[in-house]
Amino acid sequence: MNIKVTTLNGTYDVPFFDGDSTLESIERQGIAVQSHCRDGFCGACRCKLVSGSVDYKVDPLAFIDDDEILTCCTVPNENVELIFD
Amino acid sequence: MKYTTFNQLSNNPLSEPMFFGNPVNVARYDQQKHQIFEKLIEKQISFFWRPEEVDVSKDRVDFQKLSDSEKHIFISNLKYQTLLDSIQGRSPNIAFLPIISIPELETWVETWSFFETIHSRSYTHILRNLFGDPSSIFEDIVENEEIKKRAADISKYYDDLIFAVQLWQTLGEGIHTVKGEVHEITLRNLKKKLYLCMNSVNALEAIRFYVSFACTFAFAERELMEGNSKIIRLIARDENLHLTSTQHILNLWAKGKDDPEMAEIAEECKQEATDIFLNAVEQEKQWAAFLFNQGSMIGLNKEILCQYVEFIANHRMSAIGLGQPFDVKSNPLPWMNNYLNSDNVQVAPQESEISSYLVGQIDAEVNAEDFGDFDL
Repeated sequence: MNIKVTTLNGTYDVPFFDGDSTLESIERQGIAVQSHCRDGFCGACRCKLVSGSVDYKVDPLAFIDDDEILTCCTVPNENVELIFD
Repeated sequence: MKYTTFNQLSNNPLSEPMFFGNPVNVARYDQQKHQIFEKLIEKQISFFWRPEEVDVSKDRVDFQKLSDSEKHIFISNLKYQTLLDSIQGRSPNIAFLPIISIPELETWVETWSFFETIHSRSYTHILRNLFGDPSSIFEDIVENEEIKKRAADISKYYDDLIFAVQLWQTLGEGIHTVKGEVHEITLRNLKKKLYLCMNSVNALEAIRFYVSFACTFAFAERELMEGNSKIIRLIARDENLHLTSTQHILNLWAKGKDDPEMAEIAEECKQEATDIFLNAVEQEKQWAAFLFNQGSMIGLNKEILCQYVEFIANHRMSAIGLGQPFDVKSNPLPWMNNYLNSDNVQVAPQESEISSYLVGQIDAEVNAEDFGDFDL
């Protein structure tokens, strides 16, 4: 599975590694994205989900808008496209 | 509407708005209008900690090694945090509880405030360790002009709401003259005051702690004041949860998922809400300037701290639909995230030296020669 990541610094293709969270796979490529609690309650890792879908591994407590996901506690179900602004 | 501690009306709490509906009667959590608050209560309770569990004794030695400018930074930040938690330990209870209408939100606010009192008690724990008598530090909080400026700004929205609600609950809607001052009390007006107050609290939880957190963790990066850093990490974890709650309240209003009138007010007061946030950002930058007025500390200076405030403000403001007003593309203090990661908050907080923490410290291996000196 592939995660297409767009940040203010560019667009990257990130392979997803089994056992990782979405966030961990992105960090593995050395891409700097924001995160704090890594447990779904603070919302620092919130980003826009442009296409694809994800599964939550813990019940997210942080506020997430309809077109947003948290990366710290999800895994992609399929290829996904994410925008961090 | 007069406040009652047990509303005798048999109302349906699932159809009440979060605020300004009927007062809460039965504290029941089997059903919730907004489930998120019940989840936040459970999470917050699972975070329970006591300051006395954290050994801060090594910090006393470290503190003596700090330069005068570093001591100024350390103590000033503790004073400011003491102020913030003094306000937060009481104000959500006094301002919000009399006007809350659903049980899960009522209990969330009580739980939230209770944790702020743990934070306040931890500042005493830290200061008592550093100084035999910390009285002069506490007394300066109400003397220090820099701290007073911030106190006035934070408490004014609370005080304004509390006073208007008191008038409303005793005299009802209308124009009331108290000690020569005329006050126009309407429900719409009260809701507007509540909206502005919630934005001020949200800005407080979102950014007001972070200059101080950054300094604490910059000391910890140099393996200094690590007991203090451990306590501040626990505090930061709690504050992140509190922020989540105010973001939920503001978004529930703005998206019309609670009181429809609050959605109108959110739209109407967007500029005022933005100004409250920007004003807090400006004050935090001024605080950074005050901290470094006697010299900087290794790893941090005023410019980097100000950029960090802008960076974090961008994130926090976009979470409540206020856009990203600052031009900061990347996190100027990336190491901060390690300290804000809840996995890194140790389960055994009494182990104050992060670098030397051991798991399974008892050596269970026994060899035959260990008994060599035994005679039976």
